[in-house]
Amino acid sequence: MSATGSRETYAVVWPRGTKAVEIAELAPRLGTLEGKTVGELWDDLFRGDEIFPILRAELARRYPGIRFASYDRFGSTHGRDEHRVIAELPRKLEELEVDAVISGMAC
Amino acid sequence: MPSVSLVCEGFVGQATATAAGLGMPTLPPAVLPGHVDAQTDEELEANVLAAVDAVVRGLTADPEPAGVTAEPAAGAIVFEGTFDEVNRFFYEHEWSDGLPIVPPTVERVEEFLRFTDRDADEELGILLPDRRAATVWNVAVNGVLAGCRPEYMPVLVALVEAMADPRYGVEHSGNTPGSDTLIVLNGPIIKELGFNYEQGALRDGFQANTTVGRFWRLYLRNVAGFLPHKTDKGTFGNTWRVVLAENEDALARIGWTTVARDQGVTQENAVTVGRYTGGDVIVSVFGTRPEQMLPYLADALTKQTGWQLMFTVGMGTGSQRPLLVLSPILAETLAKAGLSKEDVRRLLYAEARMPAWKFERYIGEWTNLVPGRRTLVELVRAGEAPPVFAESEDPDRLVPIVCEPEDIMIAVSGDPLRTNAYGFVHNGILGYTVTKPIYAPSAASAPAAASRPSSTAAS
Repeated sequence: MSATGSRETYAVVWPRGTKAVEIAELAPRLGTLEGKTVGELWDDLFRGDEIFPILRAELARRYPGIRFASYDRFGSTHGRDEHRVIAELPRKLEELEVDAVISGMAC
Repeated sequence: MPSVSLVCEGFVGQATATAAGLGMPTLPPAVLPGHVDAQTDEELEANVLAAVDAVVRGLTADPEPAGVTAEPAAGAIVFEGTFDEVNRFFYEHEWSDGLPIVPPTVERVEEFLRFTDRDADEELGILLPDRRAATVWNVAVNGVLAGCRPEYMPVLVALVEAMADPRYGVEHSGNTPGSDTLIVLNGPIIKELGFNYEQGALRDGFQANTTVGRFWRLYLRNVAGFLPHKTDKGTFGNTWRVVLAENEDALARIGWTTVARDQGVTQENAVTVGRYTGGDVIVSVFGTRPEQMLPYLADALTKQTGWQLMFTVGMGTGSQRPLLVLSPILAETLAKAGLSKEDVRRLLYAEARMPAWKFERYIGEWTNLVPGRRTLVELVRAGEAPPVFAESEDPDRLVPIVCEPEDIMIAVSGDPLRTNAYGFVHNGILGYTVTKPIYAPSAASAPAAASRPSSTAAS
């Protein structure tokens, strides 16, 4: 703190915390969804049970060889068991040979 | 693995900010217009079909790389100016809650550090959504901002340890119910630091209760990273709550335990945090016997509980923990009748009930918060709810609002001579009740072992 005439000033510090995250390179996108397996992750909210079937139908129309691993294979990503569900994802995605994921619903 | 997130229109900002906090600022969303809950089946289908291109693009097209924004080092001087200039600077940078802040000079921060034995650099946890380090240093900085006194520092450190506990779920603090945390304080520290624990226990005006409550929300803003219109999506929100200090003289007189002891913490000085969606005063609890008083108290808890039943059965089965605050005269009346705190919980659990059909409406038909519109009987049969919710198939049967008597928390505070109570409704796993001990420094008047964070040593 210093005083310049009647103007008392304050040298103040940053109130935030250092970010502990490094920017992660996103996984390479797929060239096509044809012949791929798409996993569904759902937080059990906001009509995901109606939305995912609509997506499946339309994606299957566009990509006849596409396959799906339904959200009920993984568990809810937002609930009492969310940490366990997330922790188990790498193994389950590998077991089910999932190539890409659609995650919902952020509402 | 490539992924795309389905995001309703109003949540794109939060999704982007949250993705950045996870280190993936370019994670692609596929946006659905409006809010899906307000759309007819036909509208929903049309909107989902319209988003399929974005879904495909998110999984097959590489996004543009994100820029990196440089930030100051911990402890860096970021500005010098008058009181008004500092306040304007902090407000413009969203580091202030809009009330005047106390300029956090190094000298002021170091005053706070005298009241902890812990090193300024010590990391208390990493807080989502911004994934920033919570440190003893930035606890002190935000304590200064909030107008706390330096001697509150041990309380502030314990609070941030609670915030960083994974059981609390700080990452959910931007949810749309906009719940706010209640801090319950126990121990001799209440009197030592001048916390109010009597009439006006939830009122601002007492420096300790008020500034520590303000600190919590400033810390959520500045270190966890919750900002309205960005990561904080509270539809309405609540402002921060003043600290509720228990009346431990009253508890001692009647032989009841403190909230901290109920939570399993044996140290005398402790803080308990939990997020509550709301509450209401329960006025004029009339009577001299439990059978006169408890039905009214139970009815109040039941009336206040609605969509939160999803934390009793549903998203967070067994995590709903309503808090009943009894004024000392009410607690004393119940204790005079021979009731322990456990007895009161058990009796409230038996009384605080609603018809099964209404419970099912709250979690199903009215909110769709538990998908599939299943009945409680179906949920019990699927192993997703405890048996108490399906003791018969009669839709009019009465079911409890919590899973177990122990889920009801009871605190004693407020005007010792008025027969009012207060009920808080809990946000379940999205702010679960966590208790942490408060550790006073070994020598409060000794100089701090470290001052500014070592990252600024060369600056």
